[in-house]
Amino acid sequence: MTTGRGTTPAPGGGGTTPGPAHRAAVPPGAGAQPATPSPQHPHPHPRTRPADRRPPGRTHRRLARLLDRLPGAGPLPEAGGSTTARDLAVRRRLLLALSALLTLSLFVSYQGVHGDANALRTSSAPAVLSLDTALYALGQAQRDAGAPAPTSDFQKQISVAAQSLSAAAADDDIGGSGGRQALQTITGLITVYAVKVQQSQLQPNGSVLREAYLSYATSILTEKGSGIQDRLKTLQRQQRAAVHRQTSFGPPLWLSWTVTLLLALALGAALLETQLFLRHRFRRRYNRQLLAAFALSAAGVVTTVLFTVWTQQGMTDTRQLLDRPLPGRLIPDAGRDTASYLAHTGFRASAAVWILIGGVLLMALAETGLRRHIDEYRFRPR
Amino acid sequence: MSGHPGGPATAAPGTRTRPSRRLVRTVTVVASCLAVLAAAVVVGVRALGQEPTVTLLANWTGDDEKDFREAVLEPFERKYHIRVDYQGSNAESQVLGADVEAGTPPDVVVLTGPGELADYARQKHLLPLEDLVDPKDFGTSWAMPLADGHVYWFPLKADLKSIVWYPAGVGEEQRAQAARQPAEWCVGMGSGATSGWPGTDWIEDILLQRYGPKVYGDWARGRLPWRSQQVKAAWTAWRGLVGAGGDPALVRRALKTPYDAASQPVTARPRGCTLEHQASFIRGQRAWQQADGRYAPSAQLLAGTAANQAWEVSGDLVALLHATPAAEKLIRHLASADAQRAWSAKESGFSVHTDVRPAPGDAGPDWRRSLARTLRDARETHCFDASDAMPPAVRDAFAEATIEFLAHPDHLDTLLRSLDTLSGTQGLTWLPSVCDGAPDQPSGLSPAPMPG
Repeated sequence: MTTGRGTTPAPGGGGTTPGPAHRAAVPPGAGAQPATPSPQHPHPHPRTRPADRRPPGRTHRRLARLLDRLPGAGPLPEAGGSTTARDLAVRRRLLLALSALLTLSLFVSYQGVHGDANALRTSSAPAVLSLDTALYALGQAQRDAGAPAPTSDFQKQISVAAQSLSAAAADDDIGGSGGRQALQTITGLITVYAVKVQQSQLQPNGSVLREAYLSYATSILTEKGSGIQDRLKTLQRQQRAAVHRQTSFGPPLWLSWTVTLLLALALGAALLETQLFLRHRFRRRYNRQLLAAFALSAAGVVTTVLFTVWTQQGMTDTRQLLDRPLPGRLIPDAGRDTASYLAHTGFRASAAVWILIGGVLLMALAETGLRRHIDEYRFRPR
Repeated sequence: MSGHPGGPATAAPGTRTRPSRRLVRTVTVVASCLAVLAAAVVVGVRALGQEPTVTLLANWTGDDEKDFREAVLEPFERKYHIRVDYQGSNAESQVLGADVEAGTPPDVVVLTGPGELADYARQKHLLPLEDLVDPKDFGTSWAMPLADGHVYWFPLKADLKSIVWYPAGVGEEQRAQAARQPAEWCVGMGSGATSGWPGTDWIEDILLQRYGPKVYGDWARGRLPWRSQQVKAAWTAWRGLVGAGGDPALVRRALKTPYDAASQPVTARPRGCTLEHQASFIRGQRAWQQADGRYAPSAQLLAGTAANQAWEVSGDLVALLHATPAAEKLIRHLASADAQRAWSAKESGFSVHTDVRPAPGDAGPDWRRSLARTLRDARETHCFDASDAMPPAVRDAFAEATIEFLAHPDHLDTLLRSLDTLSGTQGLTWLPSVCDGAPDQPSGLSPAPMPG
């Protein structure tokens, strides 16, 4: 009868003889780990310090009780029976589950920030600046439209406005088909505005027709609600709202990152506890795979948190920059500042795939770290 | 075989693991189901969030746009869960032209000009509507098949143009006196990109009331030269009525005032102007509401005859450029009696849908019922706005010419010569008919071969 903690593993040889897996895991002459049990010597740790001999601490006992309640832990062994196999199975499942959850949670949290950073860098922020530029250029054009004779400055400002709108239209995120349609309408109106201004400039200075054409042009530009400027401002408000959405670190992100960090702590604690457990029960001082898993998870979480903090800071700076109306001469500077704030966000966003790869690696390390011990305690059911 | 005689040590763990495995399996299955369910919910929410959209381009802005959205578009969006991206602009023709050239036209367009629509139809940019709309709902004058047998547009609203508005309490004699004084006419030529169209309405209506629908129809179809005696007389008559080239202050006011602000002096004290030659939709302006505006047939004041020979009308015509399921639903909705009735109730215009007839007991002012009756009266002759029926290039040049004529009436011969030259350009699309019920023209605008 086996009553010891190291109930005899026998993958191929019944309940009394160590199986091949066990034999392979124990170096010759090193003593059984666990040793073959016998009625006279039920403990399978002839050389190593059996865990049973060291009374577990209070914390460890509480943790053990907690682990016992986990789903999949299976029923407790009969009184006096060994719990090692069961303990190993529970820890394996716990580590795998925590690793999977942490990977998923970290990926979702990371994407929640960096997915928007990419859109902000490539679409929303440039679109806001393009609309700012167009508005500024049209303001300058309106000033030049009243010149006594046609000026090249007017044409230049119209070209700047048109090119800026083309750049904004190239943005996939300008507001869907409605946004693109609005931009096309504005572009058409700018053409009509330029024609009316040119018509006015062709009339003699001071003539009633010159005033009339200029008034038509001005109404196209400034009419409340349907003029070019109001349409651009509406689009600009929509784009700024998009920037706010993309840069806000709202409650869902706080929640997901809190869950992620709690899961990271839980996984770290579980890895350490498992390490201690193995140290108590087996002769090896360290389990290299579990230590590597701990280092990988800690490094991964720290790196992703750092990347996220940097990206979020850049996004916040960008939002603050774009939130205020920019005078024309500051727009190029704002473009450069935005580019610098959001520099490397693309690289950091692309690192998301490494979270998944790291997660798989983490689970593989946890699995291999415990697998050989579990195999040693595997029972073949009758 | 167990080495343990009783076997409990080996057997027990094996038997004990069965419920444990079952539990694990159950938990796994439940977790998988939850995960699939969560994924389905996420995908479903995203799919619902991306509701289909339809783009619509029209010329209504300001209050008209607001009314249109409230009465017509919002019920559609609520009913079908389709978002309508509406763009309203008085530069609609230019915007549409650019969109079409760029290959990104809106799905649905509402244009005032059948001439422009016929041109798009000839270029195969419009899609037939017979499968979506019953042309009989509007009559062949409004939704007629072209030479290829297809119907490409139908009216969303219609207006009467051969009328002159005046404040309540102004008698017939006062109106006749006022008509002889240019300062008494409320004129506003401004309309942004389409400035000048109020002037085209004047000339069209003078021609129609003085020379009848045959001359009008010939001219609108490009068969009567601009330098003809009749057309030239219409321009000259307009000059006398509004004082073109006269008092600079008056000319400046007429040229610079937006058409929808022209009636504001009516409510000033003393009154700044008394009469306005403008379509029925202008009655919705605040000034005419305050002045309790009434209308008289324009023939009395423009041609000195007792009754109109015919009525100039305009329509906002719906056409389909991009057939998506959402766009087709919108077309059906816009052609429905409910949508037409709702739009008509906003008093921005009138529906000519056969199921939206005004009943004798209908609420509403007399002037509105009277206008609706005239618009639908089969015994009357209705002629479509000539400039809207002309090719877009001629229409735009016509509008420009009225602006220049108002400031420089002595340029008339040059202007008319330019218009004749432009009208003679090859490749323009002219409608075969613009008047219904005219004795020398086929009923409706359609039966003649499609031009171009």
